[in-house]
Amino acid sequence: MGHFLYDLFYRTDVLLDAWRTAAHQSWAMRGWPVVILDVLFQLGWAAAAAVFLAVNALFIIWFERKLAARIQIRRGPNRVGPWGILQTLADTGKMLIKEDIIPDAADRGVFKAAPLMVLASTFLLFVVLPFGRGLVPADLNVGLLYFLAIGGLSVIGILAGGWASNNKYSLMGGMRSAAQIVSYEVPAVLTVLSIALLAGSLKLGDIVRAQPAFGYILLQPVGFLLFLTASNAEINRGPFDLPESDSELVSGFVTEYSAMRFAIFFLAEYTNLFLAGAFAATLFLGGWRGPLLPPVAWFLIKSYFVVFLLIWIRWTFPRLRVDHLMAFSWKVLLPLALANLFITAVLVKVL
Amino acid sequence: MYAPLERGPIGRVLSGIASLGKGLWITLAYMFRKPITVQYPEQRVVLPLRFRGRLVMPVDPEKGTNRCTACMRCVNICPNHSIDIEKQTGPDGAPLPKPAKYLYNLGTCMFCNLCVEVCPFFALVMSDEHELATTDRGGFVRDLAAEKYRLTGKKASWWQRKFRGSDSGE
Repeated sequence: MGHFLYDLFYRTDVLLDAWRTAAHQSWAMRGWPVVILDVLFQLGWAAAAAVFLAVNALFIIWFERKLAARIQIRRGPNRVGPWGILQTLADTGKMLIKEDIIPDAADRGVFKAAPLMVLASTFLLFVVLPFGRGLVPADLNVGLLYFLAIGGLSVIGILAGGWASNNKYSLMGGMRSAAQIVSYEVPAVLTVLSIALLAGSLKLGDIVRAQPAFGYILLQPVGFLLFLTASNAEINRGPFDLPESDSELVSGFVTEYSAMRFAIFFLAEYTNLFLAGAFAATLFLGGWRGPLLPPVAWFLIKSYFVVFLLIWIRWTFPRLRVDHLMAFSWKVLLPLALANLFITAVLVKVL
Repeated sequence: MYAPLERGPIGRVLSGIASLGKGLWITLAYMFRKPITVQYPEQRVVLPLRFRGRLVMPVDPEKGTNRCTACMRCVNICPNHSIDIEKQTGPDGAPLPKPAKYLYNLGTCMFCNLCVEVCPFFALVMSDEHELATTDRGGFVRDLAAEKYRLTGKKASWWQRKFRGSDSGE
């Protein structure tokens, strides 16, 4: 029993592999096509990811509200449940029973599809995210490329939402978001490339294993800051929240959204926040590796630490002006990322 | 701290980065401060002496009744016509210098304190009462003379000190 528990927490890959092999064998013995079993496994992963997505959003929204309150020497939500931890649940209930309004002039099909597109791109990122040893739905050979490609997909949903709302503010928010995500994708890719150079692989599992005990952050301090900044901009938060800058664009691309459709955008936003933290932790902080505690615990600790950093940054810095935003990406981050990549490449070749 | 222009490009970049760190340090320090929130229904702040709550006409403990003489000054000065007075009448039908009804309309009152300032007999005080919601508009109009409000605490002694000296000359 103790052995099983040890495996469950520390050697999840062994346990999962053994279980999968056993299931495959018994499935094949009955003469059923193995494809169906594989699909079932994938559905299991998807369900697990969906549950995590929901629970994570519940926690992270509460966490951000609490932290923001502390920064402003307030108390934050403290009425629903202990320390107000069920506040998000109450808000979700409220969202569910609100009227779902679609503007008359909106493009109904696109309007309805937009939140789902954003959520889908977020959800798809869980495919390559290693939560622990073997705890990854599919450790793709091109995991890093997949992360960058799918991560950039959310802009389609945001732009679609802004366009379909048939509202000036929404459209401007969508346009800004598109410009911003495309601009900040470039330094992010260049930074991540230097990680790939160091690890010699695009597979996230290999990158985690290739890291020294302290992670790549000591080898790539500039890279970590660049990645943090670029991913913060890509998830439209912090000082880079121009797509939904309340004081200029009402609420940007979510202006016309209400009820559950708004909640889906919100869910995607906070899941993106976690994913930004999780990928920063995986690429720079050594992912699920760490002493004593189980891999999953280490992964979550590191991820939420980066999430804490991002929240802290968001509630500290004022919003950038829109032209400064572009200038910052192309004139500051891009040269820095190029220099970082160049130095890394030379050092990898020389050493 | 701003990046002064004299510093040259590299110095400006460095001081800019330092200022970011400074901002982060401030918010981090604030995170560990005690929240200043007052959890209102359970906790309450101590109201200042001159807090302007609902208007009251307190009972003067020495006289056992209110100090109003129905001189109509408060009625005349009120910008919103929030006060109406009906005078008491004597057996011959002539009005007496006492209010039979002192009708105060909370719904139109803007808490300007003019009635209190103009009253020559210190009959009026703005009380500490500030939870004044009612479920119908009739609840806003109150007869302050019939109410026989008793001021307590610091506000009472503050109010009584105002007229203690002036009464002796009568």
